[in-house]
Amino acid sequence: MKVEYINPFVESVYDLFTTMLGCEAKRGDISMTRKNDPPSQSVVAIIGLSGSVCGCVTMVFPARTAIHVAHRLLGCQIDELNQDVMDAVSEMINIVAGGAKAKLNGDQDKPANLSLPTVIQGADYKIQHPSWSVWLDIPFESQLGPFNLCVSIETDHARKGIAS
Amino acid sequence: MRILVVDDSTTMRRILINTLKGAGVTEVDEACDGQQAVDAVTATQYGLVLMDWNMPNLLGIEALKAIRALGNTVPVIMVTTEAEKGRVLEALKAGASNYIIKPFTPAVIMEKVNAVLGKSGASIAVKA
Repeated sequence: MKVEYINPFVESVYDLFTTMLGCEAKRGDISMTRKNDPPSQSVVAIIGLSGSVCGCVTMVFPARTAIHVAHRLLGCQIDELNQDVMDAVSEMINIVAGGAKAKLNGDQDKPANLSLPTVIQGADYKIQHPSWSVWLDIPFESQLGPFNLCVSIETDHARKGIAS
Repeated sequence: MRILVVDDSTTMRRILINTLKGAGVTEVDEACDGQQAVDAVTATQYGLVLMDWNMPNLLGIEALKAIRALGNTVPVIMVTTEAEKGRVLEALKAGASNYIIKPFTPAVIMEKVNAVLGKSGASIAVKA
C-alpha cells in the first residue's frame, strides 16, 4: 500500500468537515499500524471497498467526538451515545470512502463498490488486522474533538504492478 | 409540492428533510431503500424524488430504472457518494434529472432542486 493512497481519504475528510460540519479537521502524523487500541468508550465506523479499489476504511471516534459530530450534523441536542450517533458516524464513513474511491478510481469504466457501513460501540475491545495487511493510521483534530482514520487499500494499478 | 426522500441513512434523510422544510417544503415523505421508493411512487404522486444510490434490498439506480420502466416521469435527483463520471452518466442515462454528490451544502441541494423543478414549471422559494 502506498502512502499517497491516503491523500484522497484525507481530502474527503477535509471536504466533509468544511461542507457539512462547518469546521476544519487538521491531520496529524501518519503512522503504520497492525492493531489499534481504541480509546475507552469509542465508536468505530467500518466500510469495505471492492473492485478496482479494494480494502477497508475505519474511523475511530472517542464518545464525546461522536456525540458532537452527530449533534452538528443533525442540528439537535444529543447527550449520549444513541442510535442517532451510530447513524451519523455510519454516514460519515460512507461519505469519506465514497469521495476517496472516486479520486483513486479516476474515470474507469467499472467504479469500485462500497459495502454498507458497520458501526461498533463499546469500551473494551481491540481491532486486529490480518498480519499481511498494511494499515495507515491518521490522527485528526477538529473543533468537534479528535478522531482517527485508518486505511488499508490497494488499487487495480498496484495489483497489476503499474505505477499509479 | 410533495417530495420523497430515499436514503438508508436516517441521518441523511433528516439532513435532507431539514433542508427542504427549512426552504418551506411542508410535505416530505421518506423511504429507506429502493424497493420502498418504487412502492411509494407507485402509490403516491410526487413532485420530486431525492434518491441515494447504495441501499439494501434495491439500489437507488435500480429503483430509478424500475420507476422509469413503470412509465413514471417523476423528476429524480440522485444524492450519493458515488462520484465517478461513469456513475453520473449511468444515472442520467437511466433517467435521473440531476445528480448531487455528498458531501453537500443546503444551498447546493436547493439550487439543484429548483433547477429540476424549474424545468417542470414549479419551484420552491428559498426562505432567507
